[in-house]
Amino acid sequence: MAEAVLVVNDLNFYYNGTVQAVKGLSMTVERHSVTALIGPSGCGKTTFLRCINRMHDLYPGHRYEGEIIFEGSNLLCRKDITALRSRIGMVFQKPTPFPMSIADNIAYGLKLQGIKNRAELADRVEAALKQAALWEEVADRLKQPASGLSGGQQQRLVIARALAVQPDIILFDEPTSALDPISTSKIEELMVELKKDVTIIIVTHNMQQAARISDRTAFMYMGELIEVDATDKMFTNPARQLTEDYITGRFG
Amino acid sequence: MDIIGRRKLINVVALTLACVAAALGLFWLLFILADILRHGLGSITWELFTNEAAPPGMAGGGLKHAFIGQLLITWYAVLIGVPLGVLGGTYLAEYGRNRAIGRFISTLSDIMISVPSIVIGTFVYAVVVKPSGHFSGYAGAVALAIIMVPVVLRTTEEMINLVPWEIREAAFALGAPYYKVIIQVVYRGAATGIFTGVLLAIARIAGETAPLLFTSFNNMFLTTDMSESMPSLTVTIYQYAMGPYDDWHQMAWAAAFIITAFILLVTVLGRLIIRWKYKH
Repeated sequence: MAEAVLVVNDLNFYYNGTVQAVKGLSMTVERHSVTALIGPSGCGKTTFLRCINRMHDLYPGHRYEGEIIFEGSNLLCRKDITALRSRIGMVFQKPTPFPMSIADNIAYGLKLQGIKNRAELADRVEAALKQAALWEEVADRLKQPASGLSGGQQQRLVIARALAVQPDIILFDEPTSALDPISTSKIEELMVELKKDVTIIIVTHNMQQAARISDRTAFMYMGELIEVDATDKMFTNPARQLTEDYITGRFG
Repeated sequence: MDIIGRRKLINVVALTLACVAAALGLFWLLFILADILRHGLGSITWELFTNEAAPPGMAGGGLKHAFIGQLLITWYAVLIGVPLGVLGGTYLAEYGRNRAIGRFISTLSDIMISVPSIVIGTFVYAVVVKPSGHFSGYAGAVALAIIMVPVVLRTTEEMINLVPWEIREAAFALGAPYYKVIIQVVYRGAATGIFTGVLLAIARIAGETAPLLFTSFNNMFLTTDMSESMPSLTVTIYQYAMGPYDDWHQMAWAAAFIITAFILLVTVLGRLIIRWKYKH
């Protein structure tokens, strides 16, 4: 068993103080692995993902119960949420380039961490773009607005931006559902490549995608974790009937 | 008549009424513009910009004092109104969203936008002019700023709301505190829109007369002292147009032309910026 980077113990999450979206969820996430969260719409997988970087804290009425152990303590009790978020990056469904140049987009997180040295910033920007397999496409137009890139390039830019601050974990919330098949396969290859550097947790509606890229798959249904196991086993011989029904397309 | 024929008839009637209404509005606008152009353009002389007012009835007067007064009052109004409007709009869009107080202020600004400007003039007269004992450029600037604030505030709020939430979440996800998200990401996305709003607000106050009558009042001399009564183009137009002298009338036409041209220029500039922004 590989080292665990996250240990979730009996996590409950409520919207508006009463609507329970995650129920008694417990699982571990292994370092340098890709974990896929699957399940029908509204099953709580995105809600769970957004617990991990405390994104729910932006909105009133949220309530967490239970614990998510990260770096030896329960991150749900941490007060320094901005520091936590710089350790746990996030990539969204729609590409979210900031209204600034390609280079400034990547440098944004680095500047937040107080890096001011121009040479160091330039090096880190280049390294992150190379890591996200985007460097060759944008090397000659780093000063141009990021909005000029294609959707797939923007998504890789956003991944590079998340990578630049060297996080432990990157959360992907349906990162390819707004992209064409070629851009999708580039991002999938990238995620497999990246797991040597970071741990990846991805919410996806595309079961083939989960099967292609993930090491472990977790199936959620109505806020509960039904089953989590090695992806090979989940897709060939799941322990629970509900999982099999979902994976074979009998509902959802 | 079958149903298609009836729909076509209703369509023709509605279209005709709409066109007539538009033509009616446009006619008066063009009529006024043409009149200002006809009388105003011929009255523009070099002395208008270089000379101060001559004693009543004497030739050779200009409006230099009024131009400078107008610019100063507008500048101070911008200094007061724009920061208040932008910060207020930021509060409404960011911190005040989903709060009753936010919705209340938004609605209040919508009402403020349509308050007659003379009401604002008398209000500033009561709270600034009366206690200080005299008219002043500052009072005029405050009155114009009060007119500007709701315009700038609502534009800022709307422009900031156009910045998608995902962009903010992406910035938060990198570990940015809220104030940095607003200043470095949201403002950057909304900057052109906010700037356009400020331009349109300046165009809005450039032609205001009523609030200045009660606040900065008027005088015939060049002054840069904002704490004294101060001339402005609009009040000068009012006074000169009412006056008995022909050259006053000429100068009033010229001033009306210049103000109209200025407002037109600023408005067109604002529109161009919006179009440019959405092309890129």
